[in-house]
Amino acid sequence: MTRISRCRVALLAVGLIAAFGALSTPAPAALDMNVGVGKVVANQPLSACNGSAKTALNSVLQDAVELGGDTGEWLAFGAPDSANGSTAAATIHCYPLGSAYLVTFTCAAQVPPSPDSAAALCTKLTAAFDSGAR
Amino acid sequence: MNRKRGVALFAIALFLGSLSHTAAVASVDLSSGIRYVSDSGTLSDCSAKAKAALETYLPGATESSPGSGEWSAMGQNIATGAASSGAAVRCYPLPKGYVVTFICAVQLPANPYPAHALCLNIAHKFYGGAITPLAAMPTASPVPTGCATTNLVGNWVSDSDSKRTFTMQLNGDLTDNDGVSGNWIIDGDTVTLTYYGNHTLKLSPDGKHLSGGGYNLTRKC
Repeated sequence: MTRISRCRVALLAVGLIAAFGALSTPAPAALDMNVGVGKVVANQPLSACNGSAKTALNSVLQDAVELGGDTGEWLAFGAPDSANGSTAAATIHCYPLGSAYLVTFTCAAQVPPSPDSAAALCTKLTAAFDSGAR
Repeated sequence: MNRKRGVALFAIALFLGSLSHTAAVASVDLSSGIRYVSDSGTLSDCSAKAKAALETYLPGATESSPGSGEWSAMGQNIATGAASSGAAVRCYPLPKGYVVTFICAVQLPANPYPAHALCLNIAHKFYGGAITPLAAMPTASPVPTGCATTNLVGNWVSDSDSKRTFTMQLNGDLTDNDGVSGNWIIDGDTVTLTYYGNHTLKLSPDGKHLSGGGYNLTRKC
């Protein structure tokens, strides 16, 4: 084998290693789910919960919808990225309790590529909800 | 000229490698909206049913804090070695009875069924209703027997006490030599053992050793 041929083989090998080597390193994407806060907010109507839920979901995710209409169950997904669909989603449930309401937060994320874990997502949503509820 | 050829070969190799990077489109599917109100029963009743309903489909349901009535469980896709499904059943007491909500999430396409199918079955298991068989979770075929790095299937021995052994199964169950059961989950090389509490361990690159959380185990393979 000539010196030039050996060089070519070596370059080919280096290229293949560079290309395929990266395949073994990424961790597999895993589903992450978080049972977030559940709390009772006193002396507030259900409509206040619904308003804050929609605002919070739209500020952290996008296109919040109330399932079935007037159910108090809100759902939103993150913006789909170029390689995946939505990799984050959350639901906020509002339930009437007399003159108060019960609100719960539940989140899911695909990590990676989602930059936020499900717990971080729920923390953001709870903060956004609380600021909107003030 | 020879240098150009070399560069061209390098580029061709990179291109060939890049062809295998075609990742499948994956996304989170979330199901919400199933709610059930019972005008009788206690939070404890709800919790017991929530745990049982979850564990019909997903292993190792846990309550977020004792007595909270908020239950969740995750399911693992053995073929990918990562969690691909999860569900939460949340119970809250009412002046009379309780309200319970069912929320499910799956990772598509790694999971073989959508979130709403999982949630419907869990809800129907809870309060009664038609149960539809879910598509089987893909499994490695045949059942792995070697030191695979994507699962913990096999027999493990404690490095500090050779009498302490663990048998880990494809469905995520583990059983020790005394018959005490638990669960395992692997994500990358990080392993969570639920066995007298939760323990985080690392799987060695050869798939043969687990260490961390007070445990050092060796797989017989």
